[in-house]
Amino acid sequence: MSQETENTPPNGPSDMVISPPKRSFWRNLSYVWLVPFAALVVTLFIAWQSWAERGQRIEILFENAAGITADETTLRYRDVEIGIVEDVTFAPDLASVVVGARIDRTVAASLPEDARFWIVQPEVSASGITGLSTVLSGAYIQAAFDPAPEAKATRFTGLEETPLILPGMRGTKVTLRTESGTQLIPGAPIFHQGIEVGKIETPRLMDGGEGVIVDAFINAPYDLRLTNATRFWQVSGFSVNIGPSGLNLSVGSIASLLRGGIAFDTVVSGSEPVRTGQIFDLYDDEDSARASVFREDIENPVDLTVEFDESVSGLTAGSSVVYKGVKIGTVSFLGAFIEERNDTQEVVLRSVISIDPQRLGLKADAPAAEVIAFFSNAVKNGLRARLATQSIFSRSLVVELVELPDAAPDTLGIFAETAPLLPSVASDLPDVGATAEGLLQRVNDLPVEELLDQTIATLAAVESLAGDENLRAAPDAFVALLDDARGLIGSPETQALPAELNTAVSELRAVAEQLRQADAVNRLVAALDAAEEAATSVTDVAANIDTATEALPALIEDLQALTQKANALEVEQFLAAASAFLEGADRLIDTPDMRALPASLTGALDEAREALAELREGGLIENTNATLASAREAASAVEDATANLPELSRRIEALVAEAERTLSEYGAQSSFNRETISSLREVRAAAEALSKLARAIERNPNSLLFGR
Amino acid sequence: MENAGSPSPILTARDAGLVGCTQCGKVHLPGVVECTRCGAALHRRAISDLQKVWAWLIAGLVVYIPANLYPMLSTASLGHTTENTILGGVIELMNHGSYGVAVIVFVASIVIPVAKFIAIGFLALTVTRRVKMSAHRRHILFEVVEFIGRWSMIDVFVVAILSSLVRLDFAATITPGIAAVSFALSVAFTMIAALSFDERLIWDASENEPRD
Repeated sequence: MSQETENTPPNGPSDMVISPPKRSFWRNLSYVWLVPFAALVVTLFIAWQSWAERGQRIEILFENAAGITADETTLRYRDVEIGIVEDVTFAPDLASVVVGARIDRTVAASLPEDARFWIVQPEVSASGITGLSTVLSGAYIQAAFDPAPEAKATRFTGLEETPLILPGMRGTKVTLRTESGTQLIPGAPIFHQGIEVGKIETPRLMDGGEGVIVDAFINAPYDLRLTNATRFWQVSGFSVNIGPSGLNLSVGSIASLLRGGIAFDTVVSGSEPVRTGQIFDLYDDEDSARASVFREDIENPVDLTVEFDESVSGLTAGSSVVYKGVKIGTVSFLGAFIEERNDTQEVVLRSVISIDPQRLGLKADAPAAEVIAFFSNAVKNGLRARLATQSIFSRSLVVELVELPDAAPDTLGIFAETAPLLPSVASDLPDVGATAEGLLQRVNDLPVEELLDQTIATLAAVESLAGDENLRAAPDAFVALLDDARGLIGSPETQALPAELNTAVSELRAVAEQLRQADAVNRLVAALDAAEEAATSVTDVAANIDTATEALPALIEDLQALTQKANALEVEQFLAAASAFLEGADRLIDTPDMRALPASLTGALDEAREALAELREGGLIENTNATLASAREAASAVEDATANLPELSRRIEALVAEAERTLSEYGAQSSFNRETISSLREVRAAAEALSKLARAIERNPNSLLFGR
Repeated sequence: MENAGSPSPILTARDAGLVGCTQCGKVHLPGVVECTRCGAALHRRAISDLQKVWAWLIAGLVVYIPANLYPMLSTASLGHTTENTILGGVIELMNHGSYGVAVIVFVASIVIPVAKFIAIGFLALTVTRRVKMSAHRRHILFEVVEFIGRWSMIDVFVVAILSSLVRLDFAATITPGIAAVSFALSVAFTMIAALSFDERLIWDASENEPRD
């Protein structure tokens, strides 16, 4: 336009512009149209993308759809979200819920028919808490399958509970058979040498109802440990076992305490590996599981029948058959039969025992006739079957084959239809009940109450004695006496006395001589011999506890009498007398005569010395020599005598030790015992002192003559 | 404008063969590229300018479709994820009893954009066609459209602020959906459409017709 209006005068109207011919529509089109085009393309792309991402629709049938919400509940595979629930509707017959879901197309492309779906919800069970994340996020549907390309299944049946064994898990599935499923909790662990290697599924009844079977899944690579010889047993977490080896308590892991569990072990090596679905027996405990291996290992067993007249409570199928302490077979059957005998019907308890010929030393493939012939011969020689307890602590029984040469003659009964009958004898099972009762009766008969009364009375008497005035006065009198005695000893005259006494030692020569002549030491030894014999007999007596127990009441009676006597003693009078005596002694020491005694003694000794001096002055040196010679003789005599002293002390010691042992068998707790032991210890101390004296004399015989 | 009421026809710049500046109103001789006063670009009005209006308007309409079909916000709260479209959000707000907020959202996100589409389309159409509405009123309508257009972005701002603030991981997370982008684009496109519209065309068309 501008070029045409170039020369337009400022005041006049400008010339009308003549527009050029209109350009074509396309040429006239502005580039700005690219914007809506691009917007359209992008929008369409988004639309296509969201359609493509919509996923494949599948339908899952559930019994109930707990926790499933349309557009919210997700589907997961290996815990990765693969889809979302689109709608939840009922099946046409209202018998189930159809959950429609959209899942990822790549996943849907390889979804096989046997894909499993289940609802994951928070669950608290003995085995722990699972699905906790779903508390906040809500339930989700978990998928598990073994991907199969080109499998495009779209309709599935959901599981009601979380499956324990998922498709795609590697391992071996076996079936366990047991009588009762009490301890079998779905999901309980399977242990092998303490390590969890698998799980069990939900137990179910056998078709016939005669037992329970449960599928067990052993994870790879532990399933390699399964062979024909594998045995499964239940572990309840902890077990208490009282046996000959004592109390045995074993506690498993906390998890097994809560859930129980199953353990397995392959006891015998070299068996064939198992295939999936193999059936195993589930044993109640490890011992029976292990024992079963050996039980079933009997090749070529020979059956014998045994009839028992007494109760077989404690004997079960599987109990051992023992011959001289060696297990040679098992009880394979136990039952009661009614038999016509002497026109009356009798119930006979009959058990069938299976004997392992190998354990009898026969060949494994020995014909049955050979084994039966062996038993037939043995029965003639007195072989009998009888019941015996397995151990002191258990009430379970075993069948024991014993040789009783003085048994009533019998033969191996050959039945037409059953196994040969092995004659049995009554067992010598101790009647534990009766024994215990008798013991209790005896304990009951003990005059414990009377004894207590006596003790109380004695204590009362002691108390009244202790409270007595005279007794309290006695110590004072004694102290006074001691003071006087100290005064007496402290006087110079008394202290001079020992020196004088040395001379009196010579008198010992005569005594020693007499000792030697009288052969006193030998006599003492003989007396000790007698005492030792007596002690030995006491020991014999003590060894018989029963006798001792019987003697106990008598002993207690003695004690009682003694206590009564002690009670009856007039202690007060005695104390009064003692007090009077002490007072008398006191008075005696207080007399001037008594005080003068040392002085007079000294005088007497002075006189004796004077006499000796006179003797010496008399020049009787020969006499003195003779005296010394005889003194030497006396010393050698003493030496001879003392040679016997160590022997003497040893015997005393032996006696004491024996007596102590004897007494200790009566029980360490009784006061009687304590008293006796302490007195014996004193005797021993005396013996030791004697022995010391003997050694001293041996070392220095002259000390006997001249003092130390 | 002061002569709008006078019975005699006025002489417009265009009639005088001059080019008026759209910014400051100064008229120039043809051939001048820039306004000598304010420096704005001078251009003649052309019927082809309407193409731009239509193009931006259509682009705005196209992206307005996913803006309504796709979720505007996806709110993840304690593991639950809820996605709301614009209209779904309005309904939910009403269900929760927040009628005031619902009305605001509804007006800002649906009534105004739709009204703008209609208004711009109407104005573009009436450039070449005769309508009963006077040019003066249509001009007021245009001014309103241009003024109100920016307020449509209120939705987008809300989403932008929410999604940048509410990032509490597991407790609550808000993420913008496809619709947020679409809506923002739609508002932008319609604003450009409104800007592309040369309001002088309104008057050009009404010059030859009698005034009301």
